[in-house]
Amino acid sequence: MKNRTGLIIAVVGVLSVMISLPYYSGAYFLSVTMTILLNMTLAVSWDMMLRTGQLSFGIAGFFGIGSYVSIVAVSNFGVNNVVSIFLAAAFVAVIALALAFAILKLRGIYFAITTLALTMVFSVTIRNMPTLTGGSGGKVLYNTIFNGDTTKIYWLILTMALFTILLSIVFEKTRVHYAISSIRNDEVVAKSSGINVFKYLTVLFVITAMIQGVAGAIYTQQYGFAYPETAFSLDFLMLPMAMALVGGIYSTWGSVIGSVVLGLVAEYLRLVMPHGSKIIYGIIVILIILFLPKGIYGTLESKLRTTRNGARK
Amino acid sequence: MNAKPFHLNRTLLILIILLVVIAIWKPVALIYGFQRGGLYALIALPLALILGIIGILNLGHGDFLTLAMYIGYLLFENLKIDPLLSMVPLFFIFLALGMGIYMITIKYVLKSGELNQLILTFGISMVIIQMAELIWTTRPRNLYVSYASSSVSFLDFSVGTYEFLYPALAIGVLIALRLFLKKTKLGQAATAVGQNPRGAEIVGIDTNRVYFTVFSISIGILGIAAGVMLPRTSIFPLTGSPYTLKSFALVAMAGLGDLNGILIGGITLGIAEAVIQSIPGYGGWSDLVFFGVLLAVILTRAYRRSES
Repeated sequence: MKNRTGLIIAVVGVLSVMISLPYYSGAYFLSVTMTILLNMTLAVSWDMMLRTGQLSFGIAGFFGIGSYVSIVAVSNFGVNNVVSIFLAAAFVAVIALALAFAILKLRGIYFAITTLALTMVFSVTIRNMPTLTGGSGGKVLYNTIFNGDTTKIYWLILTMALFTILLSIVFEKTRVHYAISSIRNDEVVAKSSGINVFKYLTVLFVITAMIQGVAGAIYTQQYGFAYPETAFSLDFLMLPMAMALVGGIYSTWGSVIGSVVLGLVAEYLRLVMPHGSKIIYGIIVILIILFLPKGIYGTLESKLRTTRNGARK
Repeated sequence: MNAKPFHLNRTLLILIILLVVIAIWKPVALIYGFQRGGLYALIALPLALILGIIGILNLGHGDFLTLAMYIGYLLFENLKIDPLLSMVPLFFIFLALGMGIYMITIKYVLKSGELNQLILTFGISMVIIQMAELIWTTRPRNLYVSYASSSVSFLDFSVGTYEFLYPALAIGVLIALRLFLKKTKLGQAATAVGQNPRGAEIVGIDTNRVYFTVFSISIGILGIAAGVMLPRTSIFPLTGSPYTLKSFALVAMAGLGDLNGILIGGITLGIAEAVIQSIPGYGGWSDLVFFGVLLAVILTRAYRRSES
C-alpha cells in the first residue's frame, strides 16, 4: 500500500513538472525536450512491436507518410492543422491494415526486410507525385500549427508521448502482454493454446504504425516542411532503435530511460562535434548488442531481482 | 522435383521472348540494362554467400561498398593507382577488414538470434555512413580516367564500352566462387555448413573457420566491385546503400544458394529498370522495380508456405 502511494506521488510530481515545463525552462531546453519526447514516442512504439518478436524497420516509412498526409492536407486542401494530424493517423491506419494482411505472415529477416523495402517504396512514390507532394523539392508549410506557439506544440508532443507510454503500459499489464510474449517465445505453442496470433499482431502493427504516423505529422506541423530525404530519413529509425536498445528492449521504461539518457548525450555531442555526431548511435547500437543485450533497465532489473531473491534465501 | 526442369525452361523461354521484344523495342535499354544488371549481380553475389552460408543478412553490405570506393578514390588521388588496378589492393584491404569485422562483431552474434544480427549489421551500416560523412562530408567525389568514357556506335546510337566490364567481372567472380565451393576443401565445407550447420559440425567441420573465411572473402569481393565502379560512379556517403536491398531482392528472387540465378536475375532486373527509365516522364519510378520484385517474391513465398 505504501509503495503505491509513493508511486502515485512520483507520477504526479513528474507529470506536473513536465506539464509546467514551458513556464520556467528556456527555449533551448524546451526544444531539446521536444526532440527527446518525439524520439521516446517512436522508441516505445518500436519496442511495442518488437515485443511480439517482429523487428520492424518501418518506423521511418510510417513517419514519412504521416508527415506528408498532414502537410498535403493543410497546404493543398486547407484542412485545419490539428485535424490534419488525425487525418494522418487515419490514413496510416488504413495503409497499415491493408499491409497487415500481406506482411504479417512473414517472420524474422523477411518481415524486417519487407518493412524496410516498404519505406523505400513510400519514399519513391512520394517523390514521383510532384503535383501533390512537391516531388523531391519537398513542401513548405506557411501556416504552422497553433501559429508556431511553442508552448502549445510542446503540450501536444507531451500528450502524444504520454499517450504512447500509457498504451504501452496497458499492453504490459493486461492479458495482451501474455499473448504477445508467448508469440515471441514460441509461436506454435501460442497458437495451440488458443491465441489468435494474427489478430494480436495486426492490432499491434496498426496501432504502432498510427503512433509513428502521428509523430511524423506533429513533427512536420512543428517545423513546417517535408522533404523526401528528411521525412523518410533513416535517422527516425536509427535513433529510436538505439534509444530502446540502450534502455532495454521488451519494456516501456527501458525505452523511456534510454531516450532520456541517449537524448541528452546526443544533444551534448551535437554541441561538441557538429558533424557526424550521429556516428555515436551506430557505435552504441553495436556495443549494446555485443555487451549489454538487456540494456540499462533490463540489466538493473535482473540484478535487483537476483539480490532480492538472494536476501530472501 | 520432377516439375522443376520444366518450370525452369518455361521461365527461360518467357525471358528470351521478353528479351527479343525489348531488343526490337528499346535496343539501348537492353544493352544498358545488361551492363548494369551485371553490376547488380556482382554486388549481390557476396551478400548471397554470407546469407546462404552464415545465415546472416548483412545490412551494411552496400556501405562496405561505399567505404571501398572511398578508399579506392584515396588510392587514386594520393598514390595514382589506376582504379582498375586498385581492385587488387582493395580486395586484400577488404579481405582484412572483413576478417577484423568478423572477429570483433559477427562472431559474437552467430547464436544470438536473427533480431540481434539484423540490429548489429544495421548499426555497422550506420557507423560506416556517418563515418564517411564525418571524414569526407557529403560532397560527391568523382574520378576521371580517359578509358572509362570510350563508347561504340551502332547504327544510330552509342553505348559505353567500359560498362561491359561489369557483367564480365560478374561472370568471372561467379566462376571463381563456384570453383571455390566445388573444388577446394574449404569450399566444400562451406557448402555443407550452408546446407546443415549442425550436421557439418558433427562430422567435424570447423564452422567458425568456414564463417570467418566466407565473410572475409565476401567483403573482399566488394573491394573488387568498388574498383570497377569507381570511374563511372560519383562517390558520396550513401552511394552504396541502395545496393543492400537490391542485392537482397536478387537473392530472394534467385533463392538461397542459387548463385547462377543471381546473375540471371540481376540482368533481368537491370534491363527492366533501364526500360522503365527510358520511358519519358516515368523514369523516377524505375527504383520501384527492385522493391516491387522483392515484395512480390517474399509475399508469394509466404502465401505458398501458409497454404501448404
